[in-house]
Amino acid sequence: MSCPKTHYLLQEYFSENLSAVARDELDRHLTDCVHCNAQLESVLLAQQDLQQWQEQRVPHWDRHLELFRQEHRIDRPVSRFWLSWQWLPTAASLAMLCVLLFNVNVISNDSGFSISFVGSSASGSNLNAQLADFEQAQRLEMQQLVARVEGRQDSTNVQLLQAVMEQAQQSTADSFDQMYAYFEQQRLLDLQDMRAGYEQLVDSDYETIRSLQQLVNYVGYQSDIR
Amino acid sequence: MSLIDEDQALIASALKGSAYAWEKLVKRYELKIYNHGLRLTGNSSDAMDLMQEVFLGVYRNLHRFRGDAKFSSWIFRIAHNKAVDMNRRKRLMTSSPKFSTDDEGDEFEKFPGKKELEPEYRLGNIELNVRVLKMLSELSSDQRSIVELKVFQSLTFDEIAELQDISTNTAKTRFYSALKKLKVVSEKQNVLS
Ligand SMILES: [Zn+2]
Repeated sequence: MSCPKTHYLLQEYFSENLSAVARDELDRHLTDCVHCNAQLESVLLAQQDLQQWQEQRVPHWDRHLELFRQEHRIDRPVSRFWLSWQWLPTAASLAMLCVLLFNVNVISNDSGFSISFVGSSASGSNLNAQLADFEQAQRLEMQQLVARVEGRQDSTNVQLLQAVMEQAQQSTADSFDQMYAYFEQQRLLDLQDMRAGYEQLVDSDYETIRSLQQLVNYVGYQSDIR
Repeated sequence: MSLIDEDQALIASALKGSAYAWEKLVKRYELKIYNHGLRLTGNSSDAMDLMQEVFLGVYRNLHRFRGDAKFSSWIFRIAHNKAVDMNRRKRLMTSSPKFSTDDEGDEFEKFPGKKELEPEYRLGNIELNVRVLKMLSELSSDQRSIVELKVFQSLTFDEIAELQDISTNTAKTRFYSALKKLKVVSEKQNVLS
């Protein structure tokens, strides 16, 4: 048993801009005609099968951020640098260093205050020792920072492993290798991200220390000449 | 703020150089685009490639986006074009000029579907998705594309026709014949399971 209208009618059934009259006519035919009705039912079931799709998580990727940052580098350092907290310790240590380097003396006398900058070769060597301490302290702080970041990294890895385990619940033992490979790949990607972060951090910090050292050497050299 | 306004705001900040805004914009659409790619290609590495290309296209053309259309429509237009490109490339790579069997017309030849579906952990624990991919693998790429746009993206036949540069009638016919094919596959699967 078949109906000559099935193909045309069901094709129109999925159309969005069918007129009200046409829709009525179609509905009437579908209630009357067993064949068209059955055909529609089974086609709708197939569509329903498709709609059981479950959204799947996107694997780790960099979202073109590397590219974005590269191409927007010009206006980035200004805003990023001054908005973040990093400039604070640098500024403080610089101010302290100035006081140290120039051995500032504030003397009050009859005519008011006078500020003098005293420098001698003796205080120069003293200064080097103080700077070594300062560098030591900076390094220590840096190590603590690194340890903290690593701790955080470990906990995210554990979370990741848990997520993977959940997903792999149904898989059997032989898919463990694949799971491990997946996990390892995610970990490597994370490590790459982290390493890039470190390098930036370390670079900027050592830059500060190095320029301080050069300044000290210069001051030492100047006082030696005198 | 509505979703569309939020998109606009994110686009404006991203154009001014905010990496944060760009990332947020990507995060809003990556799930949709990735799953779209999974259904079109049937495997996660192609889906990943497609998604990366789509967002690269978005990035490169962001300044051209005019607020008169929805951003989601715009991004799916790019996705459609990239999928067509990818199809073409695959066809060039997989078919040798001498023994080309062009009568099939299905360019995503590597669509796994039948035998080599991915390990389950990559498809989540999702039996249902495997089932859906198996069904889709039986369709030609034209049919698959139209089913994707109609069923999963809820586009109208007019929109589909415009996107694929075909008539509205062709879109309707193609969709219905795809559903009929899916019906057969689905019934076969139900018998097997
Ligand atoms: Zn009928």
